[in-house]
Amino acid sequence: MWSYATLALAALFLPLFPLSMVFNLLLGRVQGGLLRSLVIMLWPQIGIGILHLADTPVPAWMATWGALTALLYAVRALGLRDMGSWIGFMVTSSWALLWVAETFGSGGGLTHLHALFFSVPPVLFVLLGEGLTQRYGAAYTGLYAGLATTLPRLSFVLVLVILATAATPLFPGFFAMLTLMLDTVPQSAAMATALALVWLLWSGAGMRLLTGLIIGNPGSTVVPDLGYAATLGFLAGLGALVVAGLYLVGKML
Amino acid sequence: MQGLLTLLITMPFMTALFTAVASGRLSQHVARISVAGTAVTFFLAAVVLWQALAGHAVLSVTFTQTWGILAIDPLGALLASVISGISLIVHVYSVRYMAEEEGYGRFFVLLDLMTATLLLMVCAGDLVTLLIAWHLVGVLLYFLLGQDMRSRSAHHYAFRTFLTYRIGDLPLVLAAVLLFDAYDTWSLSEIFSRITADPLGHEYLGLPLPILVAALIALAAFARSAQFLLHTWLPYTMSGPTPVSALMHAGIVNAGGFLINRFAPVFVHAGDVLHWLFVVGLVTALVGSVLMLAQSDIKKALGYSTMGQMGFMIMECGVGAFSLAVYHLIAHGLFKGTLFLGAGGVIKESRRDDRVPKDDLYTFVVERRPPRQRQPWLLMALITLAVPMTILVVAHWLVSQDFFQQQGAIVLLFFGWVTGAQLIFATYRMRTQNVWRLFTLIVFSFAVVIVGYTLISHAFDVFLYPDPVFRTQLYAAADVDIFWFDVLVVLMTLVVVSGWLLTYYAEQQGRRHARLLAGLWSNVYAVISREFYITALYTRLSASLMGAISRVNVLLRWV
Repeated sequence: MWSYATLALAALFLPLFPLSMVFNLLLGRVQGGLLRSLVIMLWPQIGIGILHLADTPVPAWMATWGALTALLYAVRALGLRDMGSWIGFMVTSSWALLWVAETFGSGGGLTHLHALFFSVPPVLFVLLGEGLTQRYGAAYTGLYAGLATTLPRLSFVLVLVILATAATPLFPGFFAMLTLMLDTVPQSAAMATALALVWLLWSGAGMRLLTGLIIGNPGSTVVPDLGYAATLGFLAGLGALVVAGLYLVGKML
Repeated sequence: MQGLLTLLITMPFMTALFTAVASGRLSQHVARISVAGTAVTFFLAAVVLWQALAGHAVLSVTFTQTWGILAIDPLGALLASVISGISLIVHVYSVRYMAEEEGYGRFFVLLDLMTATLLLMVCAGDLVTLLIAWHLVGVLLYFLLGQDMRSRSAHHYAFRTFLTYRIGDLPLVLAAVLLFDAYDTWSLSEIFSRITADPLGHEYLGLPLPILVAALIALAAFARSAQFLLHTWLPYTMSGPTPVSALMHAGIVNAGGFLINRFAPVFVHAGDVLHWLFVVGLVTALVGSVLMLAQSDIKKALGYSTMGQMGFMIMECGVGAFSLAVYHLIAHGLFKGTLFLGAGGVIKESRRDDRVPKDDLYTFVVERRPPRQRQPWLLMALITLAVPMTILVVAHWLVSQDFFQQQGAIVLLFFGWVTGAQLIFATYRMRTQNVWRLFTLIVFSFAVVIVGYTLISHAFDVFLYPDPVFRTQLYAAADVDIFWFDVLVVLMTLVVVSGWLLTYYAEQQGRRHARLLAGLWSNVYAVISREFYITALYTRLSASLMGAISRVNVLLRWV
C-alpha cells in the first residue's frame, strides 16, 4: 500500500509541483558541472526506485498531477534566459512525465530507461553551460550573442544537445515520447493531448534559448572555441545516444 | 531494384556528410560535391519514376522488424523526381548566389539534408519513418531560413515557422498512434488494406477511426501548407536566402497536399472531413489572393500567392480531386520556384525602369502612338461560356461517356472555368494594338486551362490511382447533397456573370459612382493592408503569454 510519506518522497525525486521547487532550488545551489550532472543522472532513478519499492500501481491522480507539473515547467521554461535554471525546468518537466509512464505504461525497466534518456542530453547541456560560464563568467542569453560566429564548434554541439533535450528525432527522447503517447492514447485522450502540448512547449523553449545564444552580432570578447577533442567527444556521446535510443526504445515500438 | 531505392534516399545524406567533412579544406569548391550528389540523386529519382511509369510493382525495403520501411509507389516516385529536380536547380543557383554569404559550406550541407529528408518523407512506408521525416523538415527549415546567423529578424520568423510546423506535427503523431493502437502495425500499406477491408471496424471517442484520423491528418496538412489561421509564418519568411524561399515554396509548403494524398485510403471513408478541407481551402485561397493583391513587396506578394495556391490545392482535395492536387502542387512548385529565383532579376530590372506608368495618356503624348483598344466585353463574356462547353463535349467523347453524370467531373470543370474566367477577365483589362493576336491568345490560354483541368487530371488519376473503383469512391466521398451542389454551382456562375455585368456597368457609367465607393474601399483596403489584423493579434497574444510567464516565474522565485 502507498503511504503519503512514500508518495511525497517519490514526488520529491520525480519532482511534482510544489516539491519540484525543492529540487530546482537544490540544483541551483549545486556547484560544478560534474556534480550537477551526477545529480541529474541519479535523481530520477532514485524516484523510480522508490515507486517500485511499493510494488503497487501508482494512483491515477498522480499521473494527472505529473502531467500538470510537466506542463507548468514547460511553459515556464519558455520565459527563461539562464541556462542553469532552464535545464532544471526541462528535467523537471520531463521527469514529471515518468508518473504518466508508470500509471499508463508497463513501468518497470522501461521507466528507468526513459529517465536515463531524459537525463543524458541535460547532462551534456550542463557540461556545455559550464564551458560557457568558464569563458564568459555566466551562461545567460542576452549577455553575449552570436556564438555561432565566435564559437562555431560549441554552437554546433549546443544545437544538437538542445534538439536532443527537446525530444527531436532521432534522439531517444522522441521514441520515449512516442512510447508514452502509445501508452496513453487508448486510455485517455486528454492525457495524450497534454503530452503533445508538453512536447510542443519543449521545442519552443529549446529554440528560444538557442536563438538567444547563438544568433546576433558577436561582441568584442575573444574566447577560445571548444577544442577538437572535446567536440568529437560530445559528438560521439550524441551518436551513442542516438544508436542506444534506436536500439533500446526504437525497436520496442 | 531495392538497392536503387536505398541509394536514392542515402545519396543526399552521404553528400551532406562529404560536404560537411570537406568544407574546411575545399572552401567554396565544396559546392561541387553537393551539386554532383544532387545531380546523381535526380538521375536515380528519374529512373525510379520511369519504372513507375512503365508499370513496375511498388518497391519496398524494410530495415527493422516493426518500422523503417521505404516504399516507392507512383506518388512517391513522382514527388521524388520533383523534389530532387527542384533541389538540383536550387543547388546550381546557390553556387554563385550564396558565394559571398557566411556559412557557405553549412548552407549546402543543410540543403542536402533537407533534400534527403523530403525524399525520406515521400518514400516512407511506415508511420514512424513518416513522423521522423515530417518532424525533421521543420527543424531543418528553421536552420535554412536562419542561414544568416547575425540576423535576429530572420531567426524570429524562422522560429515562428518552426513553431507552426511543430503545431502541425502533433496531430500527425496522434493520428499515427491511433492507427497503431487500432491495427497493431506501423506499416502504411497494411493499415490501408485493413481500413479498406473494414472501414468502420474501430472507433475512438465515439467517432469512426477514419473520420478522426483524417481530421488529424488534415490539421497537420493545414499547418504545413499555410492554411487560414495557420498561415501567418509564410509571408514573413522572406528574410531567409532566396534559394531557400524557392525550395520552400516549391517543395516544402506543398507537403500538405502530399500528406492528404498519402492517406487517401483513409480520406475515402471520411466524406465530412473532405467537405471541411473544401471550406478551409476555399477561405485560404480567397484570403491569400486578396492579401497578395495588397502587397507592394514582390517577395511578400509571392508568399501570399503561395498561400492562395495552397488553399486551391487543399480545396481540390476537398472535392475528391486528389490527383489534381498533386498536379497542382507540382505545377505550382515549378512556377513559384522560377518566380523566386527570378525575383532578384525583376527587382534589378525595375530599378533601371523609369517607373512611369505606360497608360493611354503616356503612349499618346510621349510615345506618340494611338490609344490601344480593349476587346468588346460581350465577346469576352461569350468566350467564357463557349469554350468550357466545347471542352466538356470533347472530354465526354475522349475521357468517359458518363462524364456529365460525375459530380467530381463537373466540379473539375468548374475549377477550370473559374480559373479561365479569371484569366479572361485579367486579359480583358489589358489594352493592345493588335486585338486579334490577344484574342487568339485568350482563347488558346482558356482552352489550355480547361484541358488542363480535365485531361491532365484524368492522366494523373490513372497514374496515381490506377484502380477505377477507388477513384470513383474518392469523388463519391466528396459528393455533397445534390441541392447544395446545385446551389454552389449557381452561386459560382452568378459570381462570374456578375463580374462581367459589373465590368459592363463600369464601362457604361464611367467613374460617376467612383467617389461614392472610395470611402468604403479605403476602409476595406486598410483592413487588408493590415492582413486582417491576424498577425497583430498573434503578436499581441504571444507578448501577453510571455508577460504572464515572467510574472509566474517571479512569483515562484524562478524555481
